[in-house]
Amino acid sequence: MAVALAVAVGVTLVPLKSSAQSDDAKTDKAGKFGPVGPGGGQKGGKGGGAGKGKASPSLGPAPRMPDGKASLQGVWTPANFANTGGPYPLQPWAQKVLDERRANQSKEDPEGYCLPAGVPRISPFPQKTIQTPEVLVILEEGNIHSYRQVFLDGRPHSKEDHLWMGDSIGTWEGNDVLVVDTTNFNDKTWLGGSAPHTDKLHVVERFSRPDLGHLQVDITLEDPGAFTKSHSFQRIFNLMQNTDLLEYVCNEFNIDKDHLVGRQ
Amino acid sequence: MTFRLGAAVATACASLLTGVLPVMAHHSFAAEYDSTKTITVKGTIQKLEWVNPHAYFWVDVKDASGKVTTYAFEALSPNALARQGWNRDSLKKGEEVTVDGYLAKDGKPLADGSIHANSKGVTRADGRKVFQGSSADDAYTGSAK
Repeated sequence: MAVALAVAVGVTLVPLKSSAQSDDAKTDKAGKFGPVGPGGGQKGGKGGGAGKGKASPSLGPAPRMPDGKASLQGVWTPANFANTGGPYPLQPWAQKVLDERRANQSKEDPEGYCLPAGVPRISPFPQKTIQTPEVLVILEEGNIHSYRQVFLDGRPHSKEDHLWMGDSIGTWEGNDVLVVDTTNFNDKTWLGGSAPHTDKLHVVERFSRPDLGHLQVDITLEDPGAFTKSHSFQRIFNLMQNTDLLEYVCNEFNIDKDHLVGRQ
Repeated sequence: MTFRLGAAVATACASLLTGVLPVMAHHSFAAEYDSTKTITVKGTIQKLEWVNPHAYFWVDVKDASGKVTTYAFEALSPNALARQGWNRDSLKKGEEVTVDGYLAKDGKPLADGSIHANSKGVTRADGRKVFQGSSADDAYTGSAK
């Protein structure tokens, strides 16, 4: 995955080709968070930038819920959208699928057809987290306006399976870390960087909030159907202040799908 | 409007200084557009459609003989444009613009016969820039990740 460089008004835009893809670091490098400010410092629609800008202020300690748990609530934007989490430890058949997808410019990516990006893939748009003692709800602005319900009430995993976004249950480790366990996936979504997975995918996300301005998610994936071993990476989100989610109805005018020609 | 645009440009410049970047596409740029086929056209805005997943605007370009060719440019999504301070009235019908962009790979016109392209930036007659950014800036061709 190529790490996109800063591009803004008056600067020549450099299209990044598939050959520039390289799987990036497994961390967004804590301590090099992107900017946080009014509107999340993200006005200009920018989704990332961690590692390029100086460390943003913490804005203070992480807030807490009335029950003493860390508050994970807020509108969050990826500190480094370029972080796909890869390279994933793929079995030979899965590597072959990935190679083919990349050779074909990822034209079959479900997201191009306004289907869900899945978990733990992210969109370049913000997500909003709403928290109660019983459930954590993640609302996605991109990712076709999908949502995740992380049940915290002690229930087991649902019997519903082959789900686009999986089935999520969570437990607190002390007051600071929420461990979210997600299973029951289908095999239709793509991992970051176009990597495949099977319906045996199992995702564990450890959510914490190191300070007011940042959400940290330490992610471990297992997929005995497609991976040779488990795989971990970290993702950081920056708080967007004084703003909220905006509407994004992907299927309104998706003429792109009729013009995706891939390697042609 | 003038103030809004000025603020948007100032914000975009500030974002350059802080190193943030636009990465806004739900599809693979390279699957749809050809980064080697860059174009710059000068013409007048025929219309702007503030639609998802990408706003589109049409530009009429008149050649020396008076013949008009229409280009349809894909822009960023409305939510991304809105965060840059722009809206459905930011480009007016009939206004003169210069657009930099990339042609579609398949070379096929849209249903209305217009030439299909991707916009990476629009410059107005007074030099002000609007709608900066393209899905070509996306971090990788695997689209939104």
